[in-house]
Order: sequence, then structure tokens, then C-alpha cells
Amino acid sequence: MRSTKFIAVLGAGTLALGVAACGSDDTSTSTSTSPAAGGGGDTPKVQATLNGAGSTFAAPIYQEVGSKLKSGGLTVNYQGVGSGDGVAQLQAGTADFAGSDPALSEEDRGKLKVDAIQVPIALGAITLSYNLPGQKSGIKLDGPVAADIYLGKIKKWNDPKIAADNDGIDLPDTNITVVHRSDSSGTTKGFTTFLAAYSPQWDKGPGVDKTVKWPTGTGAKGNDGVAAAVKQTEGAVGYVEQAFALQNGFTFADVKNKAGDFIAPTLESTSAAGEGIDVPADLGISTIDSPNPKAYPIASQTFLDFPMDPCKAGAKPDVAKGLMAFATYLLGSEGQDTIKQLSYAPLPEALDTKATAAIAKTTCNGKALGGA
Amino acid sequence: MSTSAQTLLAPASGRRRTTDRVMRGVLALGTLVALIPLVLVIYYLFARGLKGMSAGFFTSDPTGSFLGEPGGVKSAILGTLEIVALAAAIAIPIGIGVALYLVEFGKKGLFAQIVRYFVDVMTGVPSIVFGLFIYITLVTSGIGGSFTGWKGSLALALLMLPVVTRSAEVVLNLVPEALREAALALGVPRWKVTLKIVLPTALPGLITGSLLAVARGMGETAPLLFTSASVFGTTYNLGERMNSLPVQIFQDISQPNDAIVNRAWASALTLVLLILAITLIARLAARRSAIT
Amino acid sequence: MGAGAARTTPAGRSSFERSAAARRADPLFRGGLTAVSALVLVILGFFFVFLIVKARPALAEQGVLSFVFSNDWNPSKDVFGAWPLLAGTLITSAIAMVIGVPIAVATALFITELSPHRLRQPLTILVELLAAVPSVVYGLWGVFVLIPKLRGTEQNFSDSLSFLPFVGGSVAGPNYFIAGLLLAIMILPIVSAISREVIATVPVEHKEAALALGATRWEMIRIAVLPYSRSGITGAALLGLGRAVGETIAVVLVIGNATQVGEHIFDQGYSLAAVVANEFGEAANDPLHSGALIAAGLLLFILTLGINGIARALVVRAERRQSGTGPTPEPVGVAGMSATGGAA
Repeated sequence: MRSTKFIAVLGAGTLALGVAACGSDDTSTSTSTSPAAGGGGDTPKVQATLNGAGSTFAAPIYQEVGSKLKSGGLTVNYQGVGSGDGVAQLQAGTADFAGSDPALSEEDRGKLKVDAIQVPIALGAITLSYNLPGQKSGIKLDGPVAADIYLGKIKKWNDPKIAADNDGIDLPDTNITVVHRSDSSGTTKGFTTFLAAYSPQWDKGPGVDKTVKWPTGTGAKGNDGVAAAVKQTEGAVGYVEQAFALQNGFTFADVKNKAGDFIAPTLESTSAAGEGIDVPADLGISTIDSPNPKAYPIASQTFLDFPMDPCKAGAKPDVAKGLMAFATYLLGSEGQDTIKQLSYAPLPEALDTKATAAIAKTTCNGKALGGA
Repeated sequence: MSTSAQTLLAPASGRRRTTDRVMRGVLALGTLVALIPLVLVIYYLFARGLKGMSAGFFTSDPTGSFLGEPGGVKSAILGTLEIVALAAAIAIPIGIGVALYLVEFGKKGLFAQIVRYFVDVMTGVPSIVFGLFIYITLVTSGIGGSFTGWKGSLALALLMLPVVTRSAEVVLNLVPEALREAALALGVPRWKVTLKIVLPTALPGLITGSLLAVARGMGETAPLLFTSASVFGTTYNLGERMNSLPVQIFQDISQPNDAIVNRAWASALTLVLLILAITLIARLAARRSAIT
Repeated sequence: MGAGAARTTPAGRSSFERSAAARRADPLFRGGLTAVSALVLVILGFFFVFLIVKARPALAEQGVLSFVFSNDWNPSKDVFGAWPLLAGTLITSAIAMVIGVPIAVATALFITELSPHRLRQPLTILVELLAAVPSVVYGLWGVFVLIPKLRGTEQNFSDSLSFLPFVGGSVAGPNYFIAGLLLAIMILPIVSAISREVIATVPVEHKEAALALGATRWEMIRIAVLPYSRSGITGAALLGLGRAVGETIAVVLVIGNATQVGEHIFDQGYSLAAVVANEFGEAANDPLHSGALIAAGLLLFILTLGINGIARALVVRAERRQSGTGPTPEPVGVAGMSATGGAA
């Protein structure tokens, strides 16, 4: 008796491995068939599970909106793994949608199996947050000084170059601990775009990209990781989206913009960065270093990217409908209100209209999807 | 040996006795120092972990909400149990099977030596390399979905397999040869001898080894990061993405939100207690063994 | 294969055997077990080939030597020189050895030679408990306890002992030293367990002879125990090194993730395993970048393979010398079993 049982176990184990090696055909993006669990108001009533990944800059938005939509039957699993990882997962088909702060490049699009719809969903300020006990918000920094800090040329908080713009502020003799991202990040691209605009040395050295070779500092994963490192390290400075800075009660710098004014990151100054920008056909805007005198200079946009035809990319029709409903909700009034609550700036109206129109182009195996 | 010992024939001088005392002290101190991290880790686990066990810690899933409550880790605990259970179901039978082959049939043969050598090699492979392997063979190729629980199980099984085999081989070797020979002399076929005499005799030891492998697999993070990934919700389907305690802790560590960091401590306490419980059962099984 | 089995077959074919079916099941059983063993080899072979194939684009582009030794890891420019990572792995492992091995050996000596009999078992269990703590928990503890609590001490040490090599300068929160310290704790149980086993093989006669000649306890350890078990202890230390080199999760949390070779031990850096853990996701569709990461994994694999190979040879030889024809031909298995857990 015992022997046969053992053989059965042995057989089952080997079989399991065999089956595993061959693989089954179900996708990770399963759709739920259970009846709707209530849910009211504007929330879309689509039963689907959406797996998203990418930007940690925008992670609070996707997660907060996701937790609001759950009761309506739309489950959103968003992994904040960095814009680079998100786009890679979209290309590999391991995610249904990606969050990415920079617009998709030609190269990015070239690696997509199915072309993507790209819609901006919000604007946010990349703050230069610091951990200096006793210092209030509003140390003034300009582009060249910020670049010198991140180049490792300015090592102390009371460096004369910092002091020059900060009359009357008692800067401590603390070592600066630079914190930067270790993952491929849209926030990094935004921040390095700003640095390169003001520092030729930065432009020629580390340059502008989602990941660069940092001359100095500690690397942390995600906006959350940078925020955690700044929080834990006295003397640290890091670039994080404002929602993370406010969540942790960080103090952050006023930054000199293109027009020459020191501007604090606020809802207004971030919104100002989005006014009057060029909107290309693919909606791939950039709000860094706006010429608007009221604009905060390190403001970044963030995009939602998903396949134009999710079904062709391997998703089930419900997932396609879910994506469309999700995007529509994000751009709608409730979504934009949540975005404001999280201290991001909502999209300018004209842009929102264009983005909403772009979503309507979603198809499933070539067939248009009706309104959610 | 003896030549150097002869130089010591002189009666123990005061200096020698002092050296002896000092060196004994140094060794005792070394032992004490070795135990400091254990005490500290346990202290912090309980001090901070108990604080983090909020009301819904065991009964709710992570919410992912940025502003609201972070939620509990139900999905991570269940995910860990599911992933590890499947990994054990794969690694233990195969691992014991390989050990049976080595002890009962292969012995010192060339093929057996090769298998033994490569099982050894497997014990030394860093766990992240196993994760990497499953990731490039099964995840990016999209076989059976992208990130799934069972792929995490496979990565863990690769890691647990050599542990099971090595310990099983030792235990099976301890089964007295006389027992086998007696049965064989009675005309019992080899397979029956193995299954009805060798295995039952070695059973407690096999259980110990297998459980220690399970305990080892349970705490692994690196092989799961890129195989089962993570989700918020609880799932009982190993064909979907699956949360797990180590991955949940890993992610929670780099969160600035204090409530989430507390949750990481509480999850860590849970994980360590789970592993200790399994280790304890393994030791009890070892104690019941008749042959060690 | 087969030599041992062949000898027993005649017994299996004795006249007592009942049915032909039962006899036919034997080769089937044997074949099944052989197949399972072969499967393990096939998987490992596949594993190795696959890693090499996937690593090739990067190694071909960069050149193997340049991959290992050039000091420039810059994925955005498609430049992959893994030296900063390899250096980090070596530096943190070296710190772990310097701190961990002496303590582990002291523990092993104390438990086997000095401690009162009734303390031996509890002490052994306590040290092995260190191996039951998962690496992510060590990482958690490192981030929230070690880094903040040690920073001041590290800075004092760095300032006052700056004449030492690789010491001095400003202490970064996460750094090589913290990573090395965590690794030291993580390798302690395995090094201690194997050292204990090796020390246990020292013949009692040698020890008694030393004592009979009037040696003190320490002298007995010095002249009888240590020389006899030196190579075995070296092997134990190397097994610890193998573990330290491959450790990922605890290190990635506390090393600082900076792709340059740090100037001193309190500077940030990176390690091979850490960079794989951090960059794998985003590299998925870039054959060059993912190839470089797989090459890093391969380098790690080869490194641990070499270290463990030497270590096992030393430990097995040390233990065989004593046990001769003992019933356990693979003593390392016992050690591996008693000191599982740990690396991740």
C-alpha cells in the first residue's frame, strides 16, 4: 500500500514538473466572472483584472484610483517599478499597461508588438527634498548648484555656492548625502533634463536619460525608495515627486526657473508648467523647464501607455474594455479630482479632451469597443 | 605533533597559565559576540513586529492605497504557503528519488559520481541565479502567462532539491546494509525492499531533511522577485501572479510610510516564526529517528 | 554505475521470488530513479547553456575581459564594465570573512573544546538559529537598525583611524561595511557548523596526549586541534565565502547601489547580485543589457563554483582523514543540512 502511494507521489511530482515545463496556456490577466459587487457613481462596471507596471512618480495615482475602482469590479494591480521597467513589461507583454513619465521614444515603440496609445494623465512637481533638521522649506537652489551637488562638487550644505542664493538662512556644516534612483526612471529623465539644461558639465558627463552613471551618491529604487532614504539620512537630498514629499513632511527647495525666479513647487506652479506647451500628435508632451515665469521648472508629465489593440497583444476582451474604462476614468472628473487630492496637477482642459479622444481609438481584434 | 608537545614538558608557568586564561576568555567572548546579532534581531523583530500587527494584519490584503490604510498581508502569507507547498511537492519526491538512486543503485559508479557532483554544484548556486534562469526561460517567453506562482515554485524547487537530496543521501546511507540483505535473501524484489524497508526506516530523517529544505525555501526572496512577482489580492490560482511574504517585506522596506515599515516588521516576525515552527518540527522528527 | 547493484542482483533472483511481474518491476524502478537523476543533470546542463547563450550578445559586444575588468557600468550608453560590481562583491565578502570567520571559529572551538557539556547543545542551536533568519529580514534589520545606529560610530572610526588603508572620508548611510557586517552574521552559522564538524574529527588521543604532557587547554587547542583541522577550517571559511558572494537581498538593501568603486569601506557601492536584482526588469527587452546582467549572473555562478569546489575538497579531505571508511562518505551533506537557510 505504502509503496504504491509513494510511486504515486513520485509520479505526481515528475508530472508536475513536466506540465510546468510545457506550460499551460492561461494568461496572468484573468478576468473575473463573479457578479458585480455593487459599486456606484461614475465608477465603470467592467469585471477585469488589469496588471500595470512602471512609473513610481505616478504610482500613488494608479494605486489610489485602483483602490477606488475595486468595488466596481475593476481590479488594478500596479507595480511601481520605474518607468523603464514599466515600458519593458509593456513590450514584453507581461503588463497590460505601463505608467511612464517620459513619452515613448521611436525606439520604445519599435519594440512594441502592438502599437500603444499614450495619454498624459497628470503633471507633478519633482521636488528637491532634503533632510536638515531645523531647516524649513524654501532653501533656494538654481540649476547649476543642483548640478554641482549631484556632480559631487558641492559636498557640504554650507558651501558658499549654496549660501550665495540663501541670504539670512543659517546653513549647517553637514555633509550632503546625495540620493538618486537606482532603477530606470522617468523622474530621473525629467530631473537630468533640468540639470543638463543648466550645467554643460552635466550635459557632457552623465547626460540625460532614464538611467545615468551617477558621479556620486546612494541609489534607491523608486520615488518611494528615494523618499525613504532621504527620511532616514540626515543631510540627504533627493529628487522625489511632490506627493511623496508631502506624505513624509519633507522640506524642499525653491528652484530657479527659466525666467530667473525662484519658485516653490505648488499645484499652481506645476499647472503653470503645463500651460501653453506644444502638444505633438502622439501627445508626447514635456513640461520640464517651462519658459512660463510662474512655472516650477522641474515639473514632469506622466503617461498611461497601453496597446491600441489589447486583444492582439494577448489580452482578453474584458481586459481591453477594462483598460479603456480605466483610462477614461482617470481623465474624467473623478479621476482628475483624485489626482488633485494627491497633490498632482490635473491636465489642462484642452489636453484632457485630446487625450480622451485618443482613448476612444482602442479596439479589440480590430473592432471598436463601445463606450464603457 | 609529539616534538612540539615535548617542549611543553616544563611545568606550567604563570605566563602560560595567564595565556591560557586569556585565550579561553577570547574564545568565550567570540561565542558571546556571535550571539549578539541573534539577540538583537529577535529583540527588534518582537519589539517592532508586534507593534505592526494591526487589527487586519492577518485578515486583509495590502490595499496599495497611497493615502489610506496600508492593509494587512493575508495574500502574502497565503501566497508563500501555496508557492512553497508546490515547490515542496516538486523538490521532495525528485530530491529523494535522486538520493535513492545514488544510495541504492548508483553507489560509487561514474554516473552516480557525476550526479553527486552536480547536486553539490547546485547547493552552491546563488538563489538569484535560479530566479534569473526561470525568468529568462519561462517568464519572458510568456509560457503559461508571464509572472505566475508556479514559476516561483519552480525556482524555489531548484533551490530546495539539492538540500533534500544531500540530506536524504546521508540518511539513506545510515540504513543498515544487513536489513537490505536480509530482505533480498528472502527473495523480495529490490523495489519492494527500497520502498517497504529502506524508506520507512529512513522516514524520520527524510522528513527532517525535507522540512529543513522547506524552511530554507520559505525565506527566499530573490528567486521570487522575477518569477511570481507580487500583487495585492489573494489568489488560490498558481497560474496567476502571486504575492509572497519575502517579496512583500522586500518592497515594504523601501517605503517611506511608517505604517508600511511597521507592516514589514510584522511580516518579518511572521515569516521567522513560520520558519522556526517548521525547523522545530524537523528537529522533533529527527529525534524520533531510530537510526541516527 | 551498476557495480554495486550488479552484486546484489543474484540475491534478487533467488528461488524465493514469487512472481515474474515483481521481477519485471525492478528494472522499471531502477530506470525511473535513474531517469529522475538524469533529469537533474539535463536541467542543470540546459541551465548553463541557456545562461551562456543569453549572455553572449553582451560578452561579444563588450569582450569578456573588458566586461569583467573595465570600470564603467552605464546601461543607458550600452557600456557594461562589471568591475564596480565585482569589486563590491569582493570587498563586502572580504569584510564578511575578516569579521565573520574568526568569530565563527572561536565559537566552534568554544563549543567543542571549552564549554561545559550541558551548554553544548543549546549553544549549537542558538548559533544555528542565525541561519533560520531569512536574508530579507537581515536586510530589514540592516536598513532600520544597523545603518542609523552605526553611522556615528563609523564616522568616528573613519576620522580617527584614517591612516589605515581604505578608511577615512565621509560615511555614507548604506555602505560596503554595513553590507559586509550583515554578510558576516549570515555566514557565521555555516562556517561555525562546518568548523565544529571538522574539529570533532581531531583524534581524542592527540588531545589527550597534549594534555598528558602538561599542556593547558589553550595549548592543547593550539598544538593538537588547530594544526589538525586547519585545512578543514579553511574549507569552512571558503564555503562561507561562497555564500557571501552570492547573497543578494540583504546586500541590495544596504550597499547603496552606486555603480562606482567606492573610495573606502564606508562608501557606497554595488555588487553583482544586487545589480541583477535591481536592473533585471527594465532590461527585459534590451538583449545587450539583459545579456550583461546574465553575464553578471554567470560570473557569480563561476565564482561560487570555484570557491565551493575548493572548499568542499578541503572539508571532505579533512573529514575523511579521520573517518576513513565511515558510513557517511559525504560529510559535507550533514553540514549543509545543519546549516541550511541563509542565502537569498
